[in-house]
Amino acid sequence: MNSLLKFIQQYSNFLVFLILEVVAFMLLATNREYPKSVFLSTANRAVAKHYERVNEVDQYFSLREENARLYEENIRLQNELIAWRNHMEDSVEQTYLYAHLDYQLMPAKVVQVTTNRLHNTLTINKGLRDSVYRGMGVFNDEGVVGIVSTVGQRFSVVIPIIHTKSRISCMFAKNGYYGTIEWQGQDIRHVKVSDIPNHIAVNIGDTLVTSGLTPVFPANIPVAVVEKDTLMAGASYHQITASLLTDYKHLHYVYIIDNHAQVEQENLQREERN
Amino acid sequence: MAIALQVLLFNRLSFYGLCHPQVYILCLLMLPIALRRELEMLIGFALGLVMDILCNTLGVHIAACVLVTFLRQPLLTSMVQNAERLTTEITMATIPMAAYIRYAVILIVAHQAMVSLLSAFSFHHLGWTFLQIIISSALCVGLILGYNLLRSK
Repeated sequence: MNSLLKFIQQYSNFLVFLILEVVAFMLLATNREYPKSVFLSTANRAVAKHYERVNEVDQYFSLREENARLYEENIRLQNELIAWRNHMEDSVEQTYLYAHLDYQLMPAKVVQVTTNRLHNTLTINKGLRDSVYRGMGVFNDEGVVGIVSTVGQRFSVVIPIIHTKSRISCMFAKNGYYGTIEWQGQDIRHVKVSDIPNHIAVNIGDTLVTSGLTPVFPANIPVAVVEKDTLMAGASYHQITASLLTDYKHLHYVYIIDNHAQVEQENLQREERN
Repeated sequence: MAIALQVLLFNRLSFYGLCHPQVYILCLLMLPIALRRELEMLIGFALGLVMDILCNTLGVHIAACVLVTFLRQPLLTSMVQNAERLTTEITMATIPMAAYIRYAVILIVAHQAMVSLLSAFSFHHLGWTFLQIIISSALCVGLILGYNLLRSK
């Protein structure tokens, strides 16, 4: 007993070191891919509030750009609206369309974003209070941004496409062939597109949009544009590099997708797997 | 102050994600040596926790800071004579310059290596991670030495 006490006394420094490191590694292991705890992440209200204030100052530097983008989006939406009206005027399906609105959009502001890591995150100013839940899709006028992961009272953490564990199901806008988009790390403008079989013709400049196969994103939200395509002799899949449409360096406003059918679709798919 | 600078300025630096100097480590480098080592490690733990919450990287900065605080005292006592008697903060003015540079370089590299390796947490990006360690540490050493030189004048 005496010698044990002596041992502890002699190596107390090392023991404290060991204990603290073990705690650190335990925290790391449980939170490795996505921040799980609301309190210990930027979904924490105090932390997010601070980032929000910083962001308010930050925003002034890109006001002009932001304005121009909103203006452009406005025009695009106006045009779309006019087109729809024309289309609907002599259509009997008008009531049908409005009764089947499957999802709604919720605006949110980005208060913090990292772009220089392998596991990047961004924080938005909507949380449980605004009925945001884990797994909701997030996009902006440029394209897909990411998926909500940790939800706090007023803020949530979003896992963007530029996170090495993130996978987005996509398809070619022109012919509807499905693939998967994943980020390789390092370069925040480019992603890899996999699972596109070799018999499909791929051209530089083809647009990739969300597939709608998963309930997170409805179909046809743009994600990326094909930039490079190599097809090795004998390979059965294209090796495609695409450039992301979303610019994470200038991300201020996003939309959260509230898909009313998400829970039902997820439950059905889960049941089928089990 | 150093934490604020780190979060507001240096976390935004990005050169293909390679350049990510962790200057907040200056707080730890400056701690006086007369502190008890256990206490010092707890300070490191607390600082790491704050950084982790701010960066969404729970565990990474804690592990790195505790490592730095653990290594600090043996390193100092082996490099500086009569180090136990130093009661003030450790800067370029209080210990010889050559010793300070060595002390800072070793700890910064250890800290940066820990942060980069743990936040990558995979061997897929090993080359990139090592490049990040080298570039970030070099910049961090430069910034911290620069700060010290400015202050000593």
